[in-house]
Amino acid sequence: MSTNNNEREVILSIRHVDISFDIGKKKKFKAVKDASFDIYRGETFALVGESGSGKTTLGRAAIRINPCSAGEILFNGERISGKISRKQDRNVIRNIQMIFQDPAASLNERATIEYCISEGLYNFHLYKDEEDRIAKVDKALEDVGLLPEHKSRYPHEFSGGQRQRVGIARAMIMEPQLIIADEPISALDVSIRAQILNLMNKLKKEKNLTYLFIAHDLSVVRFIADRIAVIHLGKIVEIAESEDLFRYPVHPYTISLLSAVPMPDPIIEKQRDSIVYTKEEDDPEASPREMREIRPGHFVYANDEDMVAFEERLKKLELYNAENQ
Amino acid sequence: MINFLKKHMFDKYRLDKDFGKNPEETVSPEEEVAVNEDELFCQAEFDEKKSEIIAAPRYSYWKSVWKTFVGSKMNIAVSILVIFIVAFSFIYPSFSNYDPMDAPYINDASRKYLAPSAEHIFGTDDIGNEVFDVVWEGARNSLIVSLAATAIDMIVGIIVGAIWGFSKKMDKWMIEIYNVISNVPFLLIAMILSYILGNGFGPLIFTMTVTDWIFVAYFIRTQVMIIRDREYNLASKCLGTSTWTMVTKNILPYLISVIMTYISRQVPALISYEVFLSYMGLGLGMQYASLGRTISNYTSYMRGYPHLFWIPVSILAIISISLYIVGQKLADAADPRTHR
Repeated sequence: MSTNNNEREVILSIRHVDISFDIGKKKKFKAVKDASFDIYRGETFALVGESGSGKTTLGRAAIRINPCSAGEILFNGERISGKISRKQDRNVIRNIQMIFQDPAASLNERATIEYCISEGLYNFHLYKDEEDRIAKVDKALEDVGLLPEHKSRYPHEFSGGQRQRVGIARAMIMEPQLIIADEPISALDVSIRAQILNLMNKLKKEKNLTYLFIAHDLSVVRFIADRIAVIHLGKIVEIAESEDLFRYPVHPYTISLLSAVPMPDPIIEKQRDSIVYTKEEDDPEASPREMREIRPGHFVYANDEDMVAFEERLKKLELYNAENQ
Repeated sequence: MINFLKKHMFDKYRLDKDFGKNPEETVSPEEEVAVNEDELFCQAEFDEKKSEIIAAPRYSYWKSVWKTFVGSKMNIAVSILVIFIVAFSFIYPSFSNYDPMDAPYINDASRKYLAPSAEHIFGTDDIGNEVFDVVWEGARNSLIVSLAATAIDMIVGIIVGAIWGFSKKMDKWMIEIYNVISNVPFLLIAMILSYILGNGFGPLIFTMTVTDWIFVAYFIRTQVMIIRDREYNLASKCLGTSTWTMVTKNILPYLISVIMTYISRQVPALISYEVFLSYMGLGLGMQYASLGRTISNYTSYMRGYPHLFWIPVSILAIISISLYIVGQKLADAADPRTHR
């Protein structure tokens, strides 16, 4: 699998990124610590973690909203973190777009849908003339299943799902290469979540997109993601192919996270016992932890001592999975 | 058991069906018009597009503002009053031959201190001038000064305030300037400026606005800061929108209502300012009548000839209050939460 990954083109590379926020004058809070991963072109990469784990912070760093305090972020091989030229900045904006969590808060209530969607077009003058712009807006609306007559409406007239689709159309009209979807369905009604996910998958195929999908809902992630990174307290603890992670979770935090997924079966649900993860104190004498490859394409944050335990667990899981095949 | 229930329910069903019906009215099967069920109901085809249509009538912001404002009779009445007062105070003085530097009737004792009557609507004053002429001339000048000062205050204040609210660098030193200016007594500035610049429209408007704009700017800065970090602004930033477009398209439309409220307080407040300064002898010169100067001149007759004092004061009150009410109502109408 790893050989397969090597052949694929890396679109976004996050390398040893730290993100910290100032608290008061001298104190600093590290929201993300030493995060490293690559996103390959054409895949859906999911970033999963509980609230406050730094997943949104990391996603926003990739779109240059949050500055990195250490490390670097490469987009198509070019550094986009820190100080970059205005031309590069414009390039990043054009090629990396974001879908926001709350569709009600992320649309300008005093602007028509036409303006909301053409905002990016105006900023980069991505149209030949007025007619071309309107045609593009119509096309974008159609792509997300809305009607051209919605152009003159205001965001407050739409339902949550429709608003989120406006948000998607607004990002898609820029024809980006990478889309950062920051919990795009968590603010939506359960009945339309699938609709938005299917739409995102459809658009991904049509437009050859790459997604960085930020979520806390593992069942959603399993459905949409190709690869998953689990982040805990600003630290990435496990990265693996989606099915691999669900079948062979090795890091105790991942296991605890997976055990918390509710099952749609009352009997199983009753028997389910959540495994509570408590972060053990770092032993100063133990060897430092780093990302290690435990299976092909499956990385886990561990030191030598952890690796022994993890490999043992992996063996058990392999045995178990072989039996239950 | 089940059979019993079935029977029972069936009986009940039959009872319900025939309950309350006059047996004679019951339509016999022969008389019933034969209707094909297919004509009554037909299968609706599922159309995804149709489910997206919004049935509500189109919303237009300014149309809704207008509708809400005109919806109240009181708003219309007060607006007509304001339009009438403003129009009258601008038109009437050009027909009256009043000149504050001239006193043609000063030697005519029969024309002094006359009470209001049909011939002299507001009566006459200590030098035989028509109070009606004096008051409207004064109202016009006071309105010109306050409207001009409000316009300057608001334009400068909004532009500076919007940038101030957006720029964290600017905030650091602007807040210091604000602290200094807000701690210098206004009367001191007004006195010094009136000695330096002299009297007249220009100097008075300058005096009134030279520091006042920073209070508008501070107000706008606070409002901008409240909505600056909302997610839709972040979204605009991600789309590469420039700060200027962000201010004009994302921030200011949200502030229309609060700006209206501010203007509706500012116009009467500046009329009072003008009255106050003229009363203190710092306003327009002797050559211009103004409400402040008129009231100040007539104050000494408050007990002997009360109409001389109370008429200009009431005119001032009517202008201030009606302008304030219209402004407030416009501000209310500009708030989309009041739109239906």
